[in-house]
Amino acid sequence: MPNYMLLLHEQPMDYSQFSPEQIEAVIGEYITWRKKIEADGKYVASDKLKDEGGRLLTGYEGGFRVTDGPYAEAKEVIGGYYTISAADYDEAVDVSKSCPHLKYGGRIELREVESLS
Amino acid sequence: MVSILARRFGYQHLERIEDAVQDALVAAMKKWPFTGEPENARAWLIETAKNRVIDHLRRDGRSETLEAAEEAAAEKIEDAFLSGEIEEDELRMIFACCHPSIPPDARVALTLKTVGGFSVVEIARAFLSNKEAIAKMLTRAKAKLRDQKDIDVPSQQELVNRRDVVLKVLYLMFNEGYAATEGEELVRKDLCFEAIRLVAIVAKHPPARHPKVNALLALFLFQAARLETRIDQNGELLLLEDQDRSQWNKVMLSEGLKQFRLSASGDEVTDYHLEAEIAAVHALSRDFASTDWERIIECYDELQHRQFSPVAELNRIVAIEKLRGPHVALSALESLSKRTDLSRNAIYLLTLGHLLSLKGDRRQAATAFEAALDLSPNQPVRRFLKRRIELLRSA
Repeated sequence: MPNYMLLLHEQPMDYSQFSPEQIEAVIGEYITWRKKIEADGKYVASDKLKDEGGRLLTGYEGGFRVTDGPYAEAKEVIGGYYTISAADYDEAVDVSKSCPHLKYGGRIELREVESLS
Repeated sequence: MVSILARRFGYQHLERIEDAVQDALVAAMKKWPFTGEPENARAWLIETAKNRVIDHLRRDGRSETLEAAEEAAAEKIEDAFLSGEIEEDELRMIFACCHPSIPPDARVALTLKTVGGFSVVEIARAFLSNKEAIAKMLTRAKAKLRDQKDIDVPSQQELVNRRDVVLKVLYLMFNEGYAATEGEELVRKDLCFEAIRLVAIVAKHPPARHPKVNALLALFLFQAARLETRIDQNGELLLLEDQDRSQWNKVMLSEGLKQFRLSASGDEVTDYHLEAEIAAVHALSRDFASTDWERIIECYDELQHRQFSPVAELNRIVAIEKLRGPHVALSALESLSKRTDLSRNAIYLLTLGHLLSLKGDRRQAATAFEAALDLSPNQPVRRFLKRRIELLRSA
């Protein structure tokens, strides 16, 4: 069964208007979703990418150039990713669509992982 | 969490602590979906928030804040969760929020924010205010708190007065939830339940506990047991006589009774005792017809004897009608309106309309309800009044 990668794009948001209870509720939704895909045997891996910047390497006159960012001006960043296993895109979409990320204004980019064979 | 950290760092850093708790929660929200929840999530949150406060204090660089920072850094807060100290920290926090130096109208909001974890937007909605006004009020209140030296739960004589302020604040919080004055919702259960949670903390812990706290808790529980039945499936207002008593919350009623019994352990009968007893009479009557109105009127008489209140008098008059009929009640209402000008009071007009319609004066009753309608911004109440007016006018 192929693997699919869910890249979770998010817009930097102001959370100061949320009450602690509201934030805890959102956390609960994500945890429930994650446990569900684990229980269904779909979960493969996931990682959180750190919020602060990163480095951008660009090939430049035979060498390369490193810049901070790349997110300084970007409206969206990738907050993290999941790898899931699914029969095909239909099933992968089915798993992804219940992710709370969509409910809170985020985008999910879904890509099939190329396997070795 | 705010209460726990405030206890350690001092209430003068309240704003910073609130920000740190918020930051920790947001960090968890961004991280845990990918990494999974740590084994002890709450301890992780509080450690994270604590470290953020410490960072702030270190950056601040003043020697006394540095000292507080190092002290806190050395201590593992996790232990507090095990020893049940949290409630004691919350108790301290409640007393701090209801400190006499805080303006009375800011106390409920500050308590909701710091102890209850309500957001500024939620508080603004509860108090029919905008979030800027509430934010400003909270900032001013926190500044007052910052200037206070002695913030612990006070002792002896001081405690008696301070506890009364705390109870009053919780009473207002509950009432705001019980009778939302404006908008589409008739009741705001979250406010009621927070008031119950907090008064239960006060009732439980020495030195704050006292029979009158049990009385207030009993009152809240009796009222809250009926919350669900005050609204029908369509969100419309249901009067006590039309409510389905079998749907009253039995757990809350029996806990209310337990608290009511505990409240009798002292030798003082407070206003809260009397109000709780009125609520108990209603809660214990099998049906509306068998309500012990005699006892209810006695309680209102005693309340009025202590301190006259027009709203309590209106309630007393409604009870009088049940026992002695609309004519006697209407003349009591007339003498009340001579004593206080209530021509712009919605509850007065509602009572007047109610009594007139019982007496059979349909036209006058409708006029009174129409005047009440003009003064009622709450939507379910407005629809209720419109239905009554229509019925009265149609015949």
